[in-house]
Amino acid sequence: MSSHRTRIGSGTVIVLLAIILWGYVVGPMIATFGQSITGVGGGFAEYATFFDFRGGAQGESMLGSIVISFLSVITSGLTGVFLAVLLRRWDFPLRKVCQVLVLVPIALPPLMGVEAFVLLYGIGGTFPQLLGSLFHVKQTAFAVDGVSGVLLVHTLTMYPYFYLTAAAALEQSDDSLEEAAYSLGASRFQTWTRVLLPMLTPAMVAGALLTFMSSMSSYTAPLLFHVDKVMTQQIVISKLNGQLGLASVVSVMLAIISILFLILLRRYEQRTGYSTQSKGGARKRRRVTSPVWKAVIFAAAFISTIFLILPIGMIVLLAFSVNGSWRTAPLPSQYTIQNFVGLLHDPKNWSAIMNSIEMSAIAVGGAILLGVTSAYVIARLHFRGKAFIDIAMMLPWALPGTVVAINLITAFANPSVFALGRVLVGTYAIVPLAYFVRFSPLVFQSTAASLAQLDGGIEEAALSLGANWSYAFRRVVLPLLYPAIAAGALLAFVNGIGEFVSTILLYTPQYRPLSIAINDELYYANYGTAASLGVIQVLLVLVVVTVMRRVETREELLKV
Amino acid sequence: MTALTLEALTKTFPRAGKVVDSIDLQIRQGEFFTLLGPSGCGKSTTLRMIAGFEEPSGGRILFDDADVTNDPPNLRGIGFVFQNYALFPHLPVGKNVAFGLQVRKLPAAEIAERVAAALLEVQLTGLDDARIDQLSGGQQQRVALARALVIRPKLLLLDEPLSNLDAKLREETRSALRVLHKSTQVTTIYVTHDQSEAMGMSDRIAVLYKGRVQQVGAPEDIYERPATRFVADFIGRNNVIDATVSSVSEGSAVVRFANGGELSVDPQRMAPGIELRTGAHVGVCLRAESLQLTGARGNFSGIVKDVEYSGAVRSCMVETDLGRMQIEIPSSAGRPTPGQTVQLSADPSAVYLVGSA
Repeated sequence: MSSHRTRIGSGTVIVLLAIILWGYVVGPMIATFGQSITGVGGGFAEYATFFDFRGGAQGESMLGSIVISFLSVITSGLTGVFLAVLLRRWDFPLRKVCQVLVLVPIALPPLMGVEAFVLLYGIGGTFPQLLGSLFHVKQTAFAVDGVSGVLLVHTLTMYPYFYLTAAAALEQSDDSLEEAAYSLGASRFQTWTRVLLPMLTPAMVAGALLTFMSSMSSYTAPLLFHVDKVMTQQIVISKLNGQLGLASVVSVMLAIISILFLILLRRYEQRTGYSTQSKGGARKRRRVTSPVWKAVIFAAAFISTIFLILPIGMIVLLAFSVNGSWRTAPLPSQYTIQNFVGLLHDPKNWSAIMNSIEMSAIAVGGAILLGVTSAYVIARLHFRGKAFIDIAMMLPWALPGTVVAINLITAFANPSVFALGRVLVGTYAIVPLAYFVRFSPLVFQSTAASLAQLDGGIEEAALSLGANWSYAFRRVVLPLLYPAIAAGALLAFVNGIGEFVSTILLYTPQYRPLSIAINDELYYANYGTAASLGVIQVLLVLVVVTVMRRVETREELLKV
Repeated sequence: MTALTLEALTKTFPRAGKVVDSIDLQIRQGEFFTLLGPSGCGKSTTLRMIAGFEEPSGGRILFDDADVTNDPPNLRGIGFVFQNYALFPHLPVGKNVAFGLQVRKLPAAEIAERVAAALLEVQLTGLDDARIDQLSGGQQQRVALARALVIRPKLLLLDEPLSNLDAKLREETRSALRVLHKSTQVTTIYVTHDQSEAMGMSDRIAVLYKGRVQQVGAPEDIYERPATRFVADFIGRNNVIDATVSSVSEGSAVVRFANGGELSVDPQRMAPGIELRTGAHVGVCLRAESLQLTGARGNFSGIVKDVEYSGAVRSCMVETDLGRMQIEIPSSAGRPTPGQTVQLSADPSAVYLVGSA
């Protein structure tokens, strides 16, 4: 009986998935927990110090992480909503251009991007120098450092979480709601506070949870702005001091907070946002008539847009600057294209680019297999323990890169079945493995979202026409999922190319990936070379975004 | 042409419980057979078990004499038309129709020929290369039909195929389906909740309720001789009123209503299994069109609550002391107005008895 055979087949696949997820995701997390009890600097007592916020670096670092994340949510939220309202509600010259440009920070590469902030606003940076000489005061008066620097980076990189959802919500909401509120006697202010803003709430909550999680995970911004009282920094510091037990304690605490937020977010995602039921009548955008108001809106939009694209502009500018030509002036003094030419000739950096591409490609290959299989299994099969697969799949997405790295270090510092009986720490393999673990959820999410849209009847139709399961999967399901898989895989690939946080803890000097090469160049203040590598990352992201745009339009067309 | 037999077919879902409860049906070769019932009655689940999309919890499914209960759907040779058509959005019309033939690895020339013939049959010739999303709802529906028929299925299974069409298109597609059935002679099982669709198209109908078959019969049987009180209520506009048999004699019987009124009935006209003896509780079916206004003292009297004019007839809601009654009178027979007190007379030859509630 063939239904019997399919049942054995799907059983095997589920067991295989469970083994992989256990071996590379859940097992390593548990290993870290074990290490936190028994390792150097670990133990149960260490956990208690977390809840004494004043005593000890651990409690302080947890408080620091939470406070910074909380403030980041507020500043990113205000920025995102402000931009969404500004760019979606009113019509003004160059509005479309601004709408595109404010999304450019998404392409900001992880390490070089933060460095651009330091060079723009940090001590000795462009703005402090300019303002200092303008007002004849010491430039440090205008420089950001420490927590304010971290907040600046977080705000200007995380506002898209709010901007995108708020803009979409505003675009969907239609005028009749507003008109209904006015007709019922609400003032303009009441309409905003009682109708329009509450409609944005679901989008805001999701954005807030995402921002909080990202801020908790943030490693590079605190590193470059010298904030060490955050958990990600404490993990790395303890690890470098050889206190792997203590590093594990902090990792576990950070993991618990991240998982809590993951659960909150998933819960919240299940509640749908408000979609308006009214038909017809496209929204009309406010045409501003008062010239003063017009000038104000235009200026606000213009200035914020410039401000947002400045870091990327800085990277591009630096990429054309001569290494060492920037000492005390606001900007480098000499420019050249030699940095890009050099990339092709300098075997050191060229091999870093190739290493990153290779490592990412390996990781993405695995991520496609794991992500697509588990998305399909979860969407179409009914079995016990489905929730386990779902949570285990999404777990690495919620975990900070630092924690994933510590997990892999603890799990693979000794010979392991899952490493074919070998030690992985200190080998080439551990970096692609980390990328695979971290970025499989991206493929999974994108495939699962597409599968959820795909009517199950389509598969049944293929079966009713005589196709067996594998034929139906190959000829009907896969072609329909292909755009989503490609989008997820590309996103994973780009993330792998840029990945710095887990790489710094895992790489071996023999196989230096791109982000480490940038880090090294920055260490020697070779801003030109580092920025040219950063530009390559930006270009890659832009290519991927363009491809994904096309994929999305294709998906739109496929919806019947 | 294939006959279909369902033997004690049962489906239990973990949460919903017994959705299909031991259904026995025999569907003849070439028959147009309809499963009719309200939503949740188990009709779609039954159809999906016939197709092989759901595994029965018990019972057997036979295509002619072959037991297919455990066969996967792709080996059953069925054509299934889905409510939302489930067309493959990435394939153009021609490729959608050809899919089942390509699976069967037929020679390309034969595939081309049969696809063309199928598209001709549903009047979509020349649309081979059209994208699915360029088609109207009615055209998509016909592509789905062509795709199901082109494989010359043993059974054609239709799951509420008209419910996504607008009223006019539904009428047209109904007759198109009938014509197609005549020309192909394929055994067809049609699932719907719409009784006028079922009445208009079927050779026979099975009325399902709560997972059980209430009655199987030709449309006339079901309309004129409902087997159960549920069928009487569900089909047509029927007033079912509780009564007690007050006297029985050769060739006639009298029932008494709760308000003391009496009505003589024809003892030939009642559902099987009803025992006609004095004191028995029965349900008296009075079709809306069998109740008429009368100037003299009628069987019932009441106050007109609502009138709905629809051309040839007027439908009225009349509040009587036995509850609300629906009546349908020719428009020429008078113009009752809301608030008016009216007398109703029942045509004794149209009265039918079913079991009591």
